[in-house]
Amino acid sequence: MNETSSALRIRPADMSAAPASNSAPAAIGIRNLDFFYGKAHALKDVNMAVPANSVTAIIGPSGCGKSTLLRTINRIYEMYPDQYATGEIAIDGRNVLERGYPLSDLRRLVGMVFQKPTPFPSSIRANVAFALNYYERMSRSEIADRVEDALRQAALWDEVKDKLNQSALSLSGGQQQRLCIARAIAVRPEILLLDEATSALDPISTAKVEELIHELSERFTIVIVTHNMQQAARVSKRTAFFHLGELIEFGSTSEIFTNPREQRTRDYITGRYG
Amino acid sequence: MAIPARRRVADVAAFTFATAATVFGLIWLAWILWTTLQEGAAALTPTLFREMTPPPGASGGLLNAFYGSAVMILLGLFIGAPIGVAAGTYLAEHGRYTRLAAVVSFINDILLSAPSIIIGLFIYQLVVRTAGHFSGYAGALALGMILLPIVVRTTDEALRLVPDQMREAGFALGLPRWRVTRQVLYKAALSAILTGILLGVARIAGETAPLLFTALNNQFWSSDLNGPLANVPVVIFQYAMSPYDEWHTLAWAGAFILTAFVLLLNISVRLLARRGKHK
Repeated sequence: MNETSSALRIRPADMSAAPASNSAPAAIGIRNLDFFYGKAHALKDVNMAVPANSVTAIIGPSGCGKSTLLRTINRIYEMYPDQYATGEIAIDGRNVLERGYPLSDLRRLVGMVFQKPTPFPSSIRANVAFALNYYERMSRSEIADRVEDALRQAALWDEVKDKLNQSALSLSGGQQQRLCIARAIAVRPEILLLDEATSALDPISTAKVEELIHELSERFTIVIVTHNMQQAARVSKRTAFFHLGELIEFGSTSEIFTNPREQRTRDYITGRYG
Repeated sequence: MAIPARRRVADVAAFTFATAATVFGLIWLAWILWTTLQEGAAALTPTLFREMTPPPGASGGLLNAFYGSAVMILLGLFIGAPIGVAAGTYLAEHGRYTRLAAVVSFINDILLSAPSIIIGLFIYQLVVRTAGHFSGYAGALALGMILLPIVVRTTDEALRLVPDQMREAGFALGLPRWRVTRQVLYKAALSAILTGILLGVARIAGETAPLLFTALNNQFWSSDLNGPLANVPVVIFQYAMSPYDEWHTLAWAGAFILTAFVLLLNISVRLLARRGKHK
């Protein structure tokens, strides 16, 4: 774990030179990011470089801005009035926060899975195929292939292959969540955002999803928000700790959990607050 | 732990009162159905659906009235429902946080509680006076205008009941709003939207005042929507006010069929809503 000692907290100056200090190149370069809910300042000058093809966990007490950060990356916050972000989030070299950046491009690049499973009220097949024909013209057999592929990647294929036409609402909570993951990866994003994706699931389903996250990290850049520190420790390579809208510490997960540099991180890890 | 006597008394009293109130409400419905059935029984024969409204002293049925009502309700449905669903969608989705939507919503509420006779007069002035004659089209338009605000309100509410998570999940896939609305939200809110439309149909089925000023009535068979059209509510109104016994009986029979139709519609609404919940 010698790689962890450097660049735990990336400053703006570091960013311009080499985004993700040591390991893979940065998939998401966040610079001077501020976020506001009306007048409430929810993220304060956040700078971090999320490395590609690995799992980055975001932890912190309730209201620290960890979910807000995720919602900023795919700009889903724009659904609501009075929410806005300033600063830069660079993906593939372009600032996605720029007005002119097309939302459909961004959201094809960045998939998201939510806290509660959100299957649409249609068949399992239709759920996974949902956005496919919007992005590409595909024949029926191509769609069928993509659906199977996505369900296999989401480790759900064997459980649902005989009932693809059944309602997605008939699945269990854990299956629904994996279906949502399949739906997100069916359009082949580069980045996957998981917003407390296991907090509504039972322990067995949680273990399955965690295993899945681990497998998917070979192909996708994954950012997970979790209030479960054991989970962050289990699945992530790097961990960012947020408190009151500020990024307090960002570094390798083992370092954060065994030898944090900041007192506030230490206090949170050891359960003093949060 | 023993429940104090006071609470038990209060419980029994509340239960008794609630039950009595329910029975009180139901009695009237049963009474209406029973009276109309009894008084109209003589006319409740196949002839009712086979023959036209008769002149005084002769026997006949209500076929032309049933036909006219059905056509105008359907046409009113085709006018009011699509616009209502579209406007409700605007209020709940596109305009949700805008001032315009708040204003439209408020005006819609006023339209919702506007007396139907006003709507009849409005269409009379707008269509009947302009065209120079009563017509089925004018009747259908008046019914559509009564249906419209009901559908707007219920669609708006049905869509608002779909959790924001569904919208976020749709938008997170990069789909444009209209596709999220069409493919996710309408599906999730389908039974509630249909319920609203059916309730609206039940409402316009019995409307008399707006038709009095627009479609008027027609003693004979007519399928010409551009002329006066017979319809059940106005026939009931005219026949019930007449001095002829045969007409009274027909009015009762028409009233029974109308009440039963509305009741049936409401029951199917219930079943639909229940199905939506269990899906």
